[in-house]
Amino acid sequence: MNQNEFTRRLFLRSAASVAAATGLGGFSGLASAQANELKIWANPGVHKVGAKDWSAMESQGGISIAATAKSARADESIQKMVVGDGNRLFDAVTDNGGGMEDALASQKAIVPLDTSKIPNWKNILPIYNEGGVGASTIRHEGEVYATPMISNADSMAYDYKALGFHPDSWGVMFDSQFKGRVSLQNDFGPTLTNMGIYLQQTGKIDIKNASNMTPNEVKAVCEFLIGYKKKGQFRTFWDGFQNGVGLLASGEVLMSSCWEPVQIVANKKVGDKADIRYGTMKEGHQTWNNMIMFTRGGRERGKDDLYYKLANVYLSTWFGARTLAGLGFGPQMSGVDAYIKANPKDFPADVQTRVLDILKRKNERYAVKGNSWQNVFPKHLRAYQDEWSRLQAA
Amino acid sequence: MPNSALDNRTEGGRHPPASEGLWVRVLGENGVQKWVFYIPVVFMTLFLAVPMALTVVWSVFERTQFWMKPGLTLFAYETFFTSARAENYLFSMLHAAIAVVISFALAFPIAVFVRRRIPAALQHRVVLLFILPFMISELVRVFALRPVLGRNGVINTFLMDIGVISEPITVILFSPIGVVIGDVISFMPFMVFAGFLAMEAVQGYVFEVCEDLGARTLRAFREVIVPLAAPGIFAGSVFIFVNSVGGALVPTLLGGPGAVNAGLIVNQAIVAIDFPLAMAISAIMMATLMLLLYIGHRMFDLTKILEPLS
Repeated sequence: MNQNEFTRRLFLRSAASVAAATGLGGFSGLASAQANELKIWANPGVHKVGAKDWSAMESQGGISIAATAKSARADESIQKMVVGDGNRLFDAVTDNGGGMEDALASQKAIVPLDTSKIPNWKNILPIYNEGGVGASTIRHEGEVYATPMISNADSMAYDYKALGFHPDSWGVMFDSQFKGRVSLQNDFGPTLTNMGIYLQQTGKIDIKNASNMTPNEVKAVCEFLIGYKKKGQFRTFWDGFQNGVGLLASGEVLMSSCWEPVQIVANKKVGDKADIRYGTMKEGHQTWNNMIMFTRGGRERGKDDLYYKLANVYLSTWFGARTLAGLGFGPQMSGVDAYIKANPKDFPADVQTRVLDILKRKNERYAVKGNSWQNVFPKHLRAYQDEWSRLQAA
Repeated sequence: MPNSALDNRTEGGRHPPASEGLWVRVLGENGVQKWVFYIPVVFMTLFLAVPMALTVVWSVFERTQFWMKPGLTLFAYETFFTSARAENYLFSMLHAAIAVVISFALAFPIAVFVRRRIPAALQHRVVLLFILPFMISELVRVFALRPVLGRNGVINTFLMDIGVISEPITVILFSPIGVVIGDVISFMPFMVFAGFLAMEAVQGYVFEVCEDLGARTLRAFREVIVPLAAPGIFAGSVFIFVNSVGGALVPTLLGGPGAVNAGLIVNQAIVAIDFPLAMAISAIMMATLMLLLYIGHRMFDLTKILEPLS
């Protein structure tokens, strides 16, 4: 929660207390204001655009939003929504990666959506239609439970100035000439999925589904990484946004598997000293999306209309263009490029060039056949944990 | 109203203020007063003993998909001891122990110096200077080490500029050595405080006696000063050890690929929604610490730490 949001919430609570204590009629007005307010639990750095606070999102949706900051940890979300007080506190929640909607829907923490009440749903990317590669990411047992907000295909950032070429394979990370200058994300989910994709597509290891590997497959992927770790191939595994940025920007590593915003910020930070770019790997990438879901509590409190209005904002080209231009996240609707070109005031020529280039490269990554969707709850999660600890100990 | 207590209080014409009377009524010896002293006991029970007991109880619960359910299974312990987590745990203890030894080697002489050479009136002020680093966020302090220890950092740049090395030294960052350096810099002040307090137990004449008997500085330090100050040194060591084993920041920012310590192993179990495992590792950490304290107490009699204060 940022200072503005904190102050606003504190003010509302204080006002409620004063109204209650003095018995003034203002209380009913406050209660009515809260009835028109959507309480959401979201990542403020990622899930809003247009202003430092939620005001631009509010004015676009014509609603009032009371937002509480949420970390990127899936375990916290699951805990709060399934066994905690999430449903009492929040009308809508954002997720932390693929598979969470299944987990929450199976526990009845979130409710199905009526997409006919979201006008912009007609513009949603075709991948989310029945039979599309992203269809299952917003559905549980055939019903739509979530509205996608942003997505990406995670890849590798590299310093083009130092390398002198554009890597197009994860295999570059294991080239001995870059010994000690490579970093991986310190998270078994994306790292093992991306490495699984690489080993699967190059035929080095027989892997059926890189997003849901068997214990033997996970073990084989970790054995592969352990071999290179022992040779000193990896400088470190990064954890946390600034940490990832710092490694690339300081020149400590020449390449790193990372989120695209890490590359964007690192490249801004280095200026002319380096040229940090985000590649397209021919083997494929872990693809993911973030969604906003409607809680059981939200439905019980009758916040349906407010949720649908916010979902409509997330599926508008207004949001898509801004999330793309900001942190480089993929928009979830068609027509963003046309919107950007039609709004030169908000997107001047140089910005248009940069943003449309990001979109073009993003679409190239999406088109790679070996891509595999993120799965925060693989069937053999314990095997992932155990083998990751072996890699850490090696 | 004839009342001896009232008579005593009004003796000499002094009338207690009304507020004092109120406090006496509220906190008087036969009122709440004696119960006030139980507040710390209640606090410690509620916020220390109960959570510790629950940690052990939950560690034998059964894991469910998103939480846990009552049961009696040692599966979490088995998982810990049969996986690489146990190895990671032992390595983190080894790194912590090295950090303790280095901290002692650097900080205890400082404590002795302050006690012996700084005028008594200034001693506490000088020691307080070591609090200053704690005024800065630990995150900032640890992160700030990266531009110093890094490939293009201050140390490497300096050594290359003066021609001592031709290639950057990479082993001082993103390695176990980097973790030990971070631990020492982060937690060494604990040893200064503990050492300074411990030196209260070493009277000034002890140094003179050593000199009179011809003991050289090193021998006096090793055979007289350290044994006398041992309880305090041990206390400082425990502070450093616990922080080093449990704190997540240093290995995350300065460690090598996948560097972990016990605290991070617990954190990772929680992230994977494996609460019984997280509780089991925490219980093992508690047991390790209690064992250390027991050994320390048997060897050094830790009650002596507070003797100078009494």
